[in-house]
Amino acid sequence: MTSQQPIVQDSVNGSSDPAAEMIVAQDVHKWYTSNKFHVLRGVSLTVRRGEVVVIMGPSGSGKSTFIRTFNALEEYQKGKILVDGIELSHDLKHIDAIRREVGMVFQQFNLFPHLTVLQNVTLAPIWVRRKKKQEVEALAMQLLEKVGILEQAKKYPGQLSGGQQQRVAIARALAMQPKIMLFDEPTSALDPEMVREVLDTMRSLADDGMTMVCVTHEVGFAREVADRVVLMADGLLVEEATPEAFFSNPKEERTQQFLSQIL
Amino acid sequence: MTTLTPGSQELAPPEIQDTPLNWIKKNLFSPWYNALITLILLGLFVYVAYNFGFWAATDAKWDVIPRNLKLFIVGRYPNEQLWRLWLLLALTCGLAGLSWGVIARKAAKLFSKEILIGIGVAAFVCLLIPTAFPNRLLLLGMVGLIVAGAWVGKQLGQAQPGLGKWVSLGWSLLFVMSLWLIGGSGGLEAVSTNEWQGLLLTVFTAAISIVLCFPIGVIFALGRQSTLPVVRWLSIAYIELVRGVPLITILFMGQVLIPLFLPEGMRPDRVIRAVVGLTLFSSAYLAENVRGGLQSIPRGQAEASRALGLSTPLTLILIVMPQALKAVIPAIVGQFISLFQDTTLLAIVGLVELLGISNSILANPQFLGRFMEVYLFDAALFWIFCYTMSVASKRLEKKLNV
Repeated sequence: MTSQQPIVQDSVNGSSDPAAEMIVAQDVHKWYTSNKFHVLRGVSLTVRRGEVVVIMGPSGSGKSTFIRTFNALEEYQKGKILVDGIELSHDLKHIDAIRREVGMVFQQFNLFPHLTVLQNVTLAPIWVRRKKKQEVEALAMQLLEKVGILEQAKKYPGQLSGGQQQRVAIARALAMQPKIMLFDEPTSALDPEMVREVLDTMRSLADDGMTMVCVTHEVGFAREVADRVVLMADGLLVEEATPEAFFSNPKEERTQQFLSQIL
Repeated sequence: MTTLTPGSQELAPPEIQDTPLNWIKKNLFSPWYNALITLILLGLFVYVAYNFGFWAATDAKWDVIPRNLKLFIVGRYPNEQLWRLWLLLALTCGLAGLSWGVIARKAAKLFSKEILIGIGVAAFVCLLIPTAFPNRLLLLGMVGLIVAGAWVGKQLGQAQPGLGKWVSLGWSLLFVMSLWLIGGSGGLEAVSTNEWQGLLLTVFTAAISIVLCFPIGVIFALGRQSTLPVVRWLSIAYIELVRGVPLITILFMGQVLIPLFLPEGMRPDRVIRAVVGLTLFSSAYLAENVRGGLQSIPRGQAEASRALGLSTPLTLILIVMPQALKAVIPAIVGQFISLFQDTTLLAIVGLVELLGISNSILANPQFLGRFMEVYLFDAALFWIFCYTMSVASKRLEKKLNV
């Protein structure tokens, strides 16, 4: 996965303030409407341009729910979230504007099985950004080459391995030229030998300066790539630290307990 | 995956010697009680087949079919206007062939062995049909049109990949044109719907109801899934109301009750009332089939689409609907087949479709008591249409299952 060309577009990257706040979440609360379960109990997080933030935590801690609020796949009832300066509200126009700028990669890939790999990647730029098909296809081929699956472009997702599918999913999100990428346990559904190829792709994306928020259990990735690691437990943000401090010298008892279980 | 570890040997699957005789011995005649069952069933089958064959060859008076063939097919449609139906049939055959060619443009061979045999059989049957000789030639010409259309379609399809849209447009045009050709007016002599009879009326009502009930059913299926309470409740109310009523009562309501409410000039045509009844009825069932398809699509599909910035309508049209409809093709085609057969109920409310015209032929003193012959003929006609739909749906499924 050598990167000659950065995937991240220059216009996104270099133009404005490098320390700009891309995501600001303040005291976010969420209750599930069905059973009144208080899943997010006041979570705050700030992600700056070009930062890679890894969110860890036991299952059921609300970490997936939390990052899914960033592109309004989950609603929240209290608090405030700003994405690239736009406040997430119930206004559909705002939501659509934010979703155009935020790419997301899911645990279960969620590729569209009735479309070819190339069609999966080109669909959104054509229909949402209203770009010309040829132009988008050129970009798509470039992205597929980048993630190492150029020769599979005409195949259907069902004909690819899990790792290949997840890399297509990454290319699909990148084709919208997002400013932020969200990863929701991208390697959890993969066979062990395929985890690496996906993590390599993510690593090269981080090297290109993409702003990323990743929910993952991959300690190696977090150590190497993350600027900050965050621990969530029981709907609360327990600890936030540099990977060095997080893994070698955790302050909170809950973090120590969690790390003793996974390391 | 292709490399073998040293020492291991590539083993071919064990060959199974299974001659037909062995198969019969193994599956039908062992142990002894299976042999007994086989013999009893075989005896029963031979007995029934022999009696039927004997009846068909000696007692049956098949002349009722050729002598009334025109009535069976088009009823009392005026003879001097029959060319319009021939033209319609020719257009349909040509377009069907063309669509087949375009759809199969990537296939290595358009006319496989089975298909060639099928064409041969169809041509042979066309020549054997007991009707005037020029008509047989015309029918043969229809088979030729399908074949020629397929060939042209394949050539054009290969040269022009975007041809699919034009073919769909052709079908929509043909739909409108069929109304004009059958009904007349606007340059052609008008033919009252009272004179649309026989197989013509069966196919006409079924085709129009099928074309109309599909979009209506999809809309109700979406309505039932809607987050807007009023839309959802109205859809549920409609679906459950219609599904709780037998089709025959809906048809009676259309034919008998509406004339009581509306004065002479304002009543819609009887055929239109029948088509509306059939459409409303089957769209409720279709809605439930489509809903099944919608629910089978994982939530992640819509989420991924929304996360990419696609709006709700685009998500439905581009992502959810294609997958949902593909999943329920068998159920939908089953629905269409039963709708085709349900048109026989129109005979009860006084429309003279295939079954209706059969009954009036049977009422002719000349042909009294020829129930078997006439109904077998009807059954054969229905079977041809339903089986064609069934085969087409299987092909469609196969093509979509990549």
